[in-house]
Amino acid sequence: MTQDKEAARARTAMLKKLREEHKDTIEHTRVLLKKQQEIRRIISQAMKDGAGTVPEIAGASGLPAHEVLWHVTAMKKYDLVTETGRDGDYYRYALVEEASQ
Amino acid sequence: MNSRPDPNESENPMNTPDLKVDALVVGGGIAGMQSALDLADQGYRVALVEKEASIGGKMIMLSKVFPTLDCCSCITTPKMSAVAHHDNITLLTTCDVQALHTNGNGGYTAKVQQNPRYIDADACTGCRQCEYVCPIDLPASYDLDMGATRAIRVPFSTAVPQKAIIDIEHCLLCGKCEKACPTDAVDFSQQPFTFNIETNAVVLATGFQTTPTDAKREYGGGKLLNVIDALSMERLLAPTGPYGHILRPSDGKEPESIAYVQCAGSRDQSLGVPYCSRVCCMYAIKQAMLLSGALPMADITIYYMDIRTFGKGYEQFYQNAKAMGIEFVHGKVARIDEDSEHNPVIRVETIENGRIAERTHDLVVLSVGMLPGENLGPIFDVQPADDGFAAIPDPTLSPSATGHPGVFVTGTASGPMDIVDSIIMAGAAAAQAAAYLETMRSSVAAGPTAIPEVAHV
Ligand SMILES: Cc1cc2nc3c(=O)[nH]c(=O)nc-3n(C[C@H](O)[C@H](O)[C@H](O)COP(=O)(O)OP(=O)(O)OC[C@H]3O[C@@H](n4cnc5c(N)ncnc54)[C@H](O)[C@@H]3O)c2cc1C
Repeated sequence: MTQDKEAARARTAMLKKLREEHKDTIEHTRVLLKKQQEIRRIISQAMKDGAGTVPEIAGASGLPAHEVLWHVTAMKKYDLVTETGRDGDYYRYALVEEASQ
Repeated sequence: MNSRPDPNESENPMNTPDLKVDALVVGGGIAGMQSALDLADQGYRVALVEKEASIGGKMIMLSKVFPTLDCCSCITTPKMSAVAHHDNITLLTTCDVQALHTNGNGGYTAKVQQNPRYIDADACTGCRQCEYVCPIDLPASYDLDMGATRAIRVPFSTAVPQKAIIDIEHCLLCGKCEKACPTDAVDFSQQPFTFNIETNAVVLATGFQTTPTDAKREYGGGKLLNVIDALSMERLLAPTGPYGHILRPSDGKEPESIAYVQCAGSRDQSLGVPYCSRVCCMYAIKQAMLLSGALPMADITIYYMDIRTFGKGYEQFYQNAKAMGIEFVHGKVARIDEDSEHNPVIRVETIENGRIAERTHDLVVLSVGMLPGENLGPIFDVQPADDGFAAIPDPTLSPSATGHPGVFVTGTASGPMDIVDSIIMAGAAAAQAAAYLETMRSSVAAGPTAIPEVAHV
């Protein structure tokens, strides 16, 4: 039991030290994450009404098309967005939850 | 299997070997893997040191290979597995050689630093559950930033070893991955550690880099969204590519008109690269053929000064591409701009009539050249030649010998070459290393002073 407690204490101290050593990069990533969450919120909102192409999502969200493509690509890789077919020269993307309804 | 150094051991002084092998191979691209396998198959014990989290080098990033159009992943992955599972090979990833010294017995002692994965590699099963819960998406360098990855990740789908790694510079230390890991493999307590490898021969296979996309400012690479480099096109063509299709980065459109600009980084005095990179003509023709297969309606143009197709079956490959309808325009591209839709506009002076023409495409690919990779001077005392690649004192009769007994160089670390030549040269380096090892063995049997003392490297 005491051994467990000691191990837990040592682990907490180790993580604290690591956090201290990396405080600048953690802060930088935290800012990046916040920005990313906001962009994802805007993209998801723009996709709420159904599938769209990258230019359509960009038009609805006001974000640059290349940024939309990068985020949609990331969301597709991690199963948050799915491809639902084509529209001319473009593919259509939908939020996974919308596509499954 | 050779025993691996223990990551929990503290730093060792230079004189205690943690690993004793016959040959140390530095670099796990195709050249290093082939040299390691050739030596290991002959019964020599080999340590292969790779600085990245997976072996495979550039070859594993490619879509298909010229001139056979074999699927690259299908031919590289078995080699990567063979290296990882060979009884005579100790594979050490995330490792840097920090120093190499002669050990007084005709061999060398290498001081190697292993950088932490923050993962217990024995426990990790590569299930990627950690990656799925990691909150931050980051540009994936394996996909030339076109796709995304996460702060904890398995480097790519066919990585060897299939083990996760944490990019500590982008980690929030939120602990979500620790909670998600079914085998408790996440270990934030790992530290860099150094250990020694004692070896009798060294094979340097540290590879090449490509010309930075923005090296020629007038071509707009790195600034114009639809001007990409050829390695990015390899990823777009690969089945595991970032988009799953060939799309252009500005807006996800499937391109209808694609152009290649040759010699975008080779044979160019303004960049200090006077030499030919030897692979760009062939990879551009290969990619053009693959594109016309994947996008049958697309127009594909190659702007070139010379087409150099010197290998076996290569000229036929070029003729086949012409017969497929790929347009070859003999001319020098002066600059690339873009229109309001981000379509690249190429300004080209044609050789036949000396006219300047402007042509608009959906996507432009820069056929970037091969630049030297790691400078092998400081650590291995193998100095760069005029072209920046490793100097070979006797390139005609001994193409992989560096001038230091028992130290050999192979693959693109010694100069631009394709995969076929890298493999041939890897075999040559392994044969020369094996011959050296045998000389050493017989010299040791004959007496202790028979091996010549070599300079301090
Ligand atoms: C766009 C493009 C397309 C191509 N297509 C073809 C094709 O179709 N057919 C063909 O034959 N060739 C092709 N090539 C050429 C081919 O990529 C090379 O011939 C081949 O990859 C060279 O392998 P290598 O092992 O010498 O180098 P690399 O692949 O560069 O491997 C070097 C390895 O060493 C590691 N390393 C570097 N420094 C260190 C260090 N200090 N310590 C430890 N490890 C280190 C690197 O991380 C890497 O894993 C293409 C090249 C390009 C750019």
